[in-house]
Amino acid sequence: MEDEVSSFESSEMLATFLASTPLLEESWKLCRHANASTVQDFIWNRVGDVTYVAFPGLQNVGSDSCTRELVALGTAAEGVFTAFDRHVVESEEPPMVHIGLLQLFLSLYNTQTFRAKMTEIMNESKSIVFTGHSMGGSLASLSALWLLSCLGNTSLSTAIFCITFGAPMLGNESLSRAILHERWGGNFYHVVAQHDIVPRLLFAPTIPFIVELHAFFKSLQFSLTTPYYEQLAVQLSDENKAELFRTVLACLEASSRALNNQERVPFWPFGSFMFCTDKGSICVDNATAIVKLLYLMLATGSPSSCIEDHLKYDEYVTRACWQYLMKTSFMEGSSTESSYEAGVALALNSAGISSHEPAYGLAKDCLKMAKQVGCRRNINNAKLAVDLSKITPLRAQIEWYQKFCDDSDDQMGYYDSFKQRSASKKGSKVNMNRCRLALFWDKVIEMLETNQLPYDFDKQPKYVNASQFYKLLVEPLEIAEYYRTGMHKMKGHYIEQGREKRFQIFDKWWKDRKVGEEENSPRSKLASLTQDSCFWARVEEARECIYEVASEMDMGRNLLLREKIERFEQYASRMIDRKEVSKDVIAKNSSYNLFVGEWRELKSHAQPCPFQFPSLQDGGNMVP
Amino acid sequence: MAGGRIGEITGLREELILKSCRLAIKAHEKSPGKPYIHDKNRGSTDAFFAFPGSWLVDHWYSRKPFGETKVDLSKFPSLRSLGNDEAALVNEAFSTRFELLLSKSSLAVEVEKAVSDQKQIVFTGHSSGGPVAILAAIWFLEKYVRPNAYQIPPYCVTFGSPLVGNWIFSHAVRRENWMRYFINFVTRHDIVPRIMLAPVSSTEQGLKLMHELTTSKSQYFQHAFITKIDAALAFFLSVMRNASSVASHAACKLMGCTNLLLETVSSFIELSPYRPFGTYIFCSGNGKLLVLDNPDAILQLLFYCLQLSPGEQNSEFLCGIFKEHLIYESELQESLNMQNVVYIENLIDVPLSSDAGTNDAAATVNSALNDFGLSTRARLCVRAAGELEKQKLENQKKFDSNKDTIRDGLRMIQEYQTNCEIRKIGYYDAFKNQRDTNDFNANVKRLELAGIWDEIKEMIKRCELPDGFDVRKEWIELGTMYRRLLEPLDIANYYRHLKNEDTGPYMIKARPSRYRIMQRWREHAERMSVGSSSESTFWAEVEELRTKPYSEVKDKVLGLESRAYAWIQDGILGKDVLVDESTFTKWWRALPVQHKSGSCIANYLGN
Repeated sequence: MEDEVSSFESSEMLATFLASTPLLEESWKLCRHANASTVQDFIWNRVGDVTYVAFPGLQNVGSDSCTRELVALGTAAEGVFTAFDRHVVESEEPPMVHIGLLQLFLSLYNTQTFRAKMTEIMNESKSIVFTGHSMGGSLASLSALWLLSCLGNTSLSTAIFCITFGAPMLGNESLSRAILHERWGGNFYHVVAQHDIVPRLLFAPTIPFIVELHAFFKSLQFSLTTPYYEQLAVQLSDENKAELFRTVLACLEASSRALNNQERVPFWPFGSFMFCTDKGSICVDNATAIVKLLYLMLATGSPSSCIEDHLKYDEYVTRACWQYLMKTSFMEGSSTESSYEAGVALALNSAGISSHEPAYGLAKDCLKMAKQVGCRRNINNAKLAVDLSKITPLRAQIEWYQKFCDDSDDQMGYYDSFKQRSASKKGSKVNMNRCRLALFWDKVIEMLETNQLPYDFDKQPKYVNASQFYKLLVEPLEIAEYYRTGMHKMKGHYIEQGREKRFQIFDKWWKDRKVGEEENSPRSKLASLTQDSCFWARVEEARECIYEVASEMDMGRNLLLREKIERFEQYASRMIDRKEVSKDVIAKNSSYNLFVGEWRELKSHAQPCPFQFPSLQDGGNMVP
Repeated sequence: MAGGRIGEITGLREELILKSCRLAIKAHEKSPGKPYIHDKNRGSTDAFFAFPGSWLVDHWYSRKPFGETKVDLSKFPSLRSLGNDEAALVNEAFSTRFELLLSKSSLAVEVEKAVSDQKQIVFTGHSSGGPVAILAAIWFLEKYVRPNAYQIPPYCVTFGSPLVGNWIFSHAVRRENWMRYFINFVTRHDIVPRIMLAPVSSTEQGLKLMHELTTSKSQYFQHAFITKIDAALAFFLSVMRNASSVASHAACKLMGCTNLLLETVSSFIELSPYRPFGTYIFCSGNGKLLVLDNPDAILQLLFYCLQLSPGEQNSEFLCGIFKEHLIYESELQESLNMQNVVYIENLIDVPLSSDAGTNDAAATVNSALNDFGLSTRARLCVRAAGELEKQKLENQKKFDSNKDTIRDGLRMIQEYQTNCEIRKIGYYDAFKNQRDTNDFNANVKRLELAGIWDEIKEMIKRCELPDGFDVRKEWIELGTMYRRLLEPLDIANYYRHLKNEDTGPYMIKARPSRYRIMQRWREHAERMSVGSSSESTFWAEVEELRTKPYSEVKDKVLGLESRAYAWIQDGILGKDVLVDESTFTKWWRALPVQHKSGSCIANYLGN
């Protein structure tokens, strides 16, 4: 595996890139202003085409902020973060955020000034950067999530970016995953100073600490708004600091261990983290690596540095922004000639973990793992493209079979020929291809769900089109197989009970795809594939209904069934009129034509007694 | 990776290099009024054209932020990417200066004269005279060398020249194998070659400053500089910072960084599009020379050579940096005397630590890199550039091994085509009907071949193949053969399934990009006009025309007929088109009589 990944470590280079752009410096400049202002909830500043919006770091903290309770975004802030609604999966925790931080945001969100200003900014600039120090960073993240969520429903192309400085953790793993799936991972940049305790606080359960934490926040708030903070920060006693440091470190260690056993951690990072030290900075986007680095780097700190660092962003940011000027010295000690080893050594040196420390090995594994995960995504994507072209001949064989069935003398059509197939070589080959294609697509979906593919995979036209074509061609066979083997008697009908998850996913991809201005002129000939891949399942259900009607004595139920059949009939004839079905539907001996015959028969023989249902007679619909 | 004389490495005699330097500086400093200096020595075999530079902001940036524009493809038809069909970007102000020169001065006439005298032509320029020299050289290559009208390729030697074009510019020059004719000298700290990495907003003042400094007499330089120290520092820092952004962004990509941030940030921050190309010769300031020709590595060095050591942050040092733009002549003289040259060919193996180098070659390279102050980080970037180039070559090798598979597939389709002919039916129509097992087998082969070519296409689009891949004769032939044989089948499949009714005409909505690329390959190689090698899409045109009434498409029918006539004459369009039962024949015969009687292809289709 190692040969496949690129032999360079780029986490440090990425941090260098970010620091060399004006984004970081301008954001921090505004954060400093926001922190100094005691009256405003947020301030903004326009630089070129970019508007920066900063939130002050130390808000009036309610008691909620001292717990680490999480609430679901969908329920606690209904209608604000609509994009997350679609990420609520039954078996999983919904996307959740810290209750206190959310309330802080909602109280801002509900003010007229905030939303009016946001609308104004959106109209004026094409790019917005939200930023904030400490809890201001959490507000920045939530504001960015809110706007990203809103933009999804509009055609506006405003670019959103969020840079936080020493912000606490915000949400759970589901939130982080939803952000990845929305492809917003690249929109969040969290700057964390080497030993800063605040981003690490929420890894500790709060119960034994509620008082100290409160005091801690308060002292910070007080100290930052006055120029002489160092005198006032003493409010937190040395013992308290030591205990805080010890507890947080121990909890972080436990969390970082839990990751090895795939256990859950209540809070989970999202976006990228830039770790700053006095030696340099690195940028990491792999959540597991972030948690571990949070631990490993704190372990090199002390009770006092963990608090001081929260107030030292000015220094860290300035250094990060100007370090490019200076030639950096050569690697200390190690004289490896391997590009990867040298790159890792430099990165970890910048992260303040030197090669003789015990943490070095762990931190190195961490970067390596993050790198491999990232690279594997692209490699998988490339491999998949090759696999896709390999399975295309299988699909062609099925098409060939379809054509053969549609042209054959028994006039059963594609669907029924496959359903009624005898032990022919052709039929079993097609069945085999059906299974192999299913395997391929299931593998794709599994890789996508386990995050082994690029995040925008399901937006690539290549796969959207291929999956749609696969669905239209092969799902009829799946349905045929389902009813052929009598599965509907055991499990219920196909659409409700038997439809594979992949087809539902492909429906969604197709529905969400970008549609250009396509000409919608009427078809001149029948489509080569029925445009509703579940058409045959509906036919089967309708035919089943006909049998039930014949034996149903209860008039009310009888009527419901008839209505259902009627609905299907209208739907089917609409499809046929628009030529949206393929040839096999109208083949002389197809299930659909059998249905038409049976239905006609039923209507002519057993009509419901008119005077029992006067209302229907009024409508006149049932009279043939 | 080792030494050698600079004349041997560049292929240009050293006295010519020195002379071009002298002339370039003379043109820039002494005769700014003249459009250029033409040095023609009656007896000599060489002709020099030296272009002056300018410090006017308008002569550097035509607009904000970076002043780039698409190249004029009518003048520079090669400066585009064949894979993505994109024109290269060039600095508009530089390009306008060259255009003016060409139209208003006697340059074209004098060049023509030099050509008729069979001279070795050298274009040269110092400072912003460099870009004009570069454009003149490319113009010359396009006009004389590419059509084989002149056998002696020109040289272009620049000194402290700013960057001219974007990555496509660089890619196209490398594709045409022209980069060896471009030799760029850059002193280690000279800020001018880096200016174009920064937007006009942060260099405008700097250009004015450079103008004031360079026009002051050399003994007063120090004095002039001290009075402007703040402006100079600000200028230096902003160029450096922008260079850092461009270089670190490029390095992230070279190192295979997969973080989504890279893309997001790109929509906030516009980075300079300009990239170096050709051979770069970095001068250390103490007589040593470092030669590189990998554009990615050069870009990294343009940044890393600027980095300062702690002892270097003082006004005296800064003054020295600004002076470096003016010392090319003496620097070159010294270097050519010393001949301490390191040519790094094998970028992957540059030593990483300053004390590395157990064998002689590595030690030489190492000491050279030390002279340029290149840290481990810089060296890693250089290695990454080398690694990418190596990877591209490996990708190419991998595809070369596929050639036989492609040939076998094509042979099978040819047999299919012959079989159909025996049955008196065109293979297009046979395939469209899909009646026979043969048709099915051809379809499977079609898909297999498409898979192989799509993989190649993806790599071309992502620039994962060497720059020269697009012009390799064997592949162009293979591609053309594939396109002529297989594209009709793709079209048949498209119209068989009536996909035109779902998505629109094949040509507009559905033509696979692999065919577009192959068509561009051939058109470029044979220097045909764009779109003129469209024989493989003949059927798509027929399919679209035959659904419409004659009166609506009369002109298009005439156009298609005249092209078809030429293709039939050349034997490009197969006999299958003209068999009695082909879709084309049937449609054509149903056209109005008066049209048919006057048609140029009537002879082929007469009853």
